[in-house]
Amino acid sequence: MPNIPHSPLQDGPAVTDADLAALLAGKEDVAPGLRPAADVLAALSAEPGPGELAGEARALAEFRRRAGAPAPRHRAHGTAGLSSRLSAKVAASAAAGAVVLGGAATAAYAGVLPAPIQRFAHDAIGAPNAPSAPHSPAPGKTVAPSGQLAPHGQPAASAKPHSPGRHSSRHGQGQQGTGQGQQGTGQGQPGTGQGQPGTGQGQQGNGQGSPPGQGQPGDGQGRPGNGQGSPPGRGQPGDGQGRPGNGQGNPHAEGEHGNPHPRWQQGNPHPHAEQVPYRARHARPARHAPAMDT
Amino acid sequence: MISEDFASLLAAAQSGSEPAFSRLWRDANPPLLRYLRVIAPGAEEDIAAETWVQVVRGLRSFRGDEQAWRAWLFTTARRRAIDLARHRSRRPESPLDDVAVAQLPRTVDSAEVALEHLSTAAAIALVSALPRLQAEVILLRVVAGLDTESVARLLHKSPGAVRVATHRGLRRLAQRTADAGVTL
Repeated sequence: MPNIPHSPLQDGPAVTDADLAALLAGKEDVAPGLRPAADVLAALSAEPGPGELAGEARALAEFRRRAGAPAPRHRAHGTAGLSSRLSAKVAASAAAGAVVLGGAATAAYAGVLPAPIQRFAHDAIGAPNAPSAPHSPAPGKTVAPSGQLAPHGQPAASAKPHSPGRHSSRHGQGQQGTGQGQQGTGQGQPGTGQGQPGTGQGQQGNGQGSPPGQGQPGDGQGRPGNGQGSPPGRGQPGDGQGRPGNGQGNPHAEGEHGNPHPRWQQGNPHPHAEQVPYRARHARPARHAPAMDT
Repeated sequence: MISEDFASLLAAAQSGSEPAFSRLWRDANPPLLRYLRVIAPGAEEDIAAETWVQVVRGLRSFRGDEQAWRAWLFTTARRRAIDLARHRSRRPESPLDDVAVAQLPRTVDSAEVALEHLSTAAAIALVSALPRLQAEVILLRVVAGLDTESVARLLHKSPGAVRVATHRGLRRLAQRTADAGVTL
């Protein structure tokens, strides 16, 4: 005979599902064997004792705090939301305004604003003034703030531009030609190099040319400056007759060692190289050579 | 149970009526404490208070009848009890050596309960001696007044499993009380 483990439940009262249902329902007519269990369940649902209602004040306080004043809470919430939205809008507007003003100020100091606005910025916040329209042969590209004239603009059409600073051309030349000469305002020392006849257009420079006659004869290969040109008009158009220009060459721009034969960076100062005399092209710089301005 | 007056009481409480809320609280808090004494002995007061705080917060948005109200209340309490148990298991506060013997959790012997005749407390102690699931389903059915489906949802069990656990718990309870000759 198998040894089946003894279950303690088998010793209990025989109960059916109907008995259990009646027990759960709290009915009085439960099986006699379930009477103690019915008493336990009844005790579970007995009237509350004093200790079980002790927390009412605390719960009511919480209720008053959170739900007792619903309308003000909602109004306050709405007001807070409105304030938050307004604050966000004000902050966004202020940020946008700051960005616009900052950008405008930056553009004003960079000098890239349209002329009327730039002049206004100049008057208002001390930004650089707008260049006058007639003096801007290439707007946005050439500015001659100092208005200094290149010294060698005269008969030579192409006043050789001088680069500002260390790239001043040694032999900037006033070249003859038919182009429009432009004056430089750089600091290059003047040269009186031989202007070369030509028809090319001179380039702008911003080197300050000394008066003619001060410089050395250039060889006509002066490197073009890349700076800002002086107002046009000084470098007058040449007549294309091959007259030598008074070169603006700077043998020692700003005291640096110039390159007597710098490479061209812009333009061609010898648009008609075949017309350039050999002597003029290979003339060595002479510090105190007489001016050969014509 | 409040029964037919529940809907009006709930609406009044949601409108801010303190007497209505007090009525709801006085009806539900005692069974809540009895349930918590079984599943979280020693922390029933704190858990019940936290439960009511949470209930107050969500009172306006609650929709349902009294069955749903009780299910919500006991579900909230059960979750709080589980959170507390997890918190205590992660950070035990004191070793057992420092805890007085009288404060140690214990399973009350049914015979002892019979001798004491402590009524509700004795009944809670008897139910606490049952396996956890059986004790919970009996309390939720009898004390909270929830039906089988509500208990099943609350415990994440099937209704069949709840019925089985209920019958087994009642059988075991009947056997123990019969064996001990309990007279409450």
